[in-house]
Amino acid sequence: MFKKTITALAAFAITGCASIQIPADRLERSEASVRAAEEMGASAVPAARLHLQMAKDQTEAAKRMAGNGDERAVLVLARAEADAELALGMAREVTTHNDAERASEDLKAVKARTLP
Amino acid sequence: MNFKPQNVVIGLSLFGLLGGCATVTPPQLVEAREAYNVSSNGLAAKLTPTELYDAKKVLDKANKEFEDKGDTAEVRDYSYIAKRKIELAEVKARTELDRQRIAEAVKQGVVVRDTQMKDLQAGLVKTREQLEAEKNNGALKDKDLANTTAQLEAEKQARMTAEAKLAGAMKDLAAIAAVKEEARGVVITLSGSVLFASGKYALLETAKTKLDQVAEALKAQSDDKRMIVEGHTDSQGSDATNKPLSLNRANAVREYLVTKGVDSSKITAVGLASSRPLVDNNTAENRANNRRVEIVIQPAQVSAR
Repeated sequence: MFKKTITALAAFAITGCASIQIPADRLERSEASVRAAEEMGASAVPAARLHLQMAKDQTEAAKRMAGNGDERAVLVLARAEADAELALGMAREVTTHNDAERASEDLKAVKARTLP
Repeated sequence: MNFKPQNVVIGLSLFGLLGGCATVTPPQLVEAREAYNVSSNGLAAKLTPTELYDAKKVLDKANKEFEDKGDTAEVRDYSYIAKRKIELAEVKARTELDRQRIAEAVKQGVVVRDTQMKDLQAGLVKTREQLEAEKNNGALKDKDLANTTAQLEAEKQARMTAEAKLAGAMKDLAAIAAVKEEARGVVITLSGSVLFASGKYALLETAKTKLDQVAEALKAQSDDKRMIVEGHTDSQGSDATNKPLSLNRANAVREYLVTKGVDSSKITAVGLASSRPLVDNNTAENRANNRRVEIVIQPAQVSAR
C-alpha cells in the first residue's frame, strides 16, 4: 500500500511540474508584432498603447503558463498577438490619417495658389 | 401524493436539460458577435473583407467551442481574439480610406498642377506673342521713321542742290546786273539802255542773252516766292508818255521771262515811270541810271494760320 502511495505522489509531482512547449514561431511572431507596434509609435497613441501593454502582459503570462504546463498558454499567446497587431494597426491608422490630412491641406494650397 | 421512482428520474432529466440550456453566453462572445454584426454591414466589409473573414473564422471557433463545451476559457479566448481581429479589420478599413484620400489628393494635385502649368504656358505664349507684335510694331515704326528720315534727307539734299543752283545763278547774274537785298526782297536792276532803244519797249537782241540768265536765276527760286517786274524812266518827258513806256518795258521783260520758263502766275509787271528815281535827274549819267528795269523777288509769304 505504501509503495503504491509513493508511486502515485511521484507521478503527480512529475505531471504537475511538467512544462509545455510553445511553438517557437508563434512566440516569435507575437514578439515581432509587439516590436513592430513599438517602432510604428504605438506608445504615443493612447488606445494603441493600451493594446501594446496588454500584448506584452499576455506574452509574459503565456510564458508563465507554458512553464507551468498550462496548455491554454498557446491561446493566451494568440490573444497577445491579436492585441499587438491591433496596436500596430492603430499606430498606422494615426500616421496615415495625419498624412491624409496633410495631403488635403497641400491640395487646398495648390488650388488656392495664384501663378504669375 | 404517491412517490413514484420514475417521476424522480423524469424530474432530474428535465432539470438537467433546463440547466444545460440555461448556460450563460460569456460576455466576450456576446461582444464579439455584436462587433461582427456591425462590421459585416460597415466599412470593413467593403474595404477589408479579408481581415473580416479571418475574424469570422475565429468567431466561428468560439461559437463551436461554446456549442460543444459551454462557457470555457477557450471560448472566452477565441471570442477575445475574434473581437480584436474585428477591431483590426475596422482600423485597417479606416486606414485604407485615408490611403484612398491621399491617392485622390495626389491625383487631383497632379491635375490641378497640370492645369496651372498649361495656363501658365498659355499665358507665356500670349505674352510672347504680344511682345512679338510690339516688336514688329516697333519695327514698322522704325521703318516709317527710316522712310521719313530718308525723305527728309532727300528733301534736304534737293533743297541744298536748289540753293546751290540758285547761288550759282545769282552769282552769274551779279556779273551782268546789280543785285541787292532790300526790305522788299532781292532786287535785280537792269539798265534801261542795255535792254531797250531810246523811247522804245522792244527788247534788244543783246538784252535777251542777259535776260536768259535772269530767267535761270528766277526759275531757281523756291516756288513760294512771287516776282514783280518794275519799269522805271527818268524825269524827262511827261508822265503820260513815261507811264505807258515804263509799263510796256516791264511787260516786255516779263513776257520774255515767261517764254523762258518763269511761272507766269508768279510774275507781274508794273510801270512806275519816274516816280522812284535811284538818284536825282540832274546829269545825263544819273538819268541813265534812273532808266532801268527792276525785278523784285519778294520774300516767301508766311501763310496766315
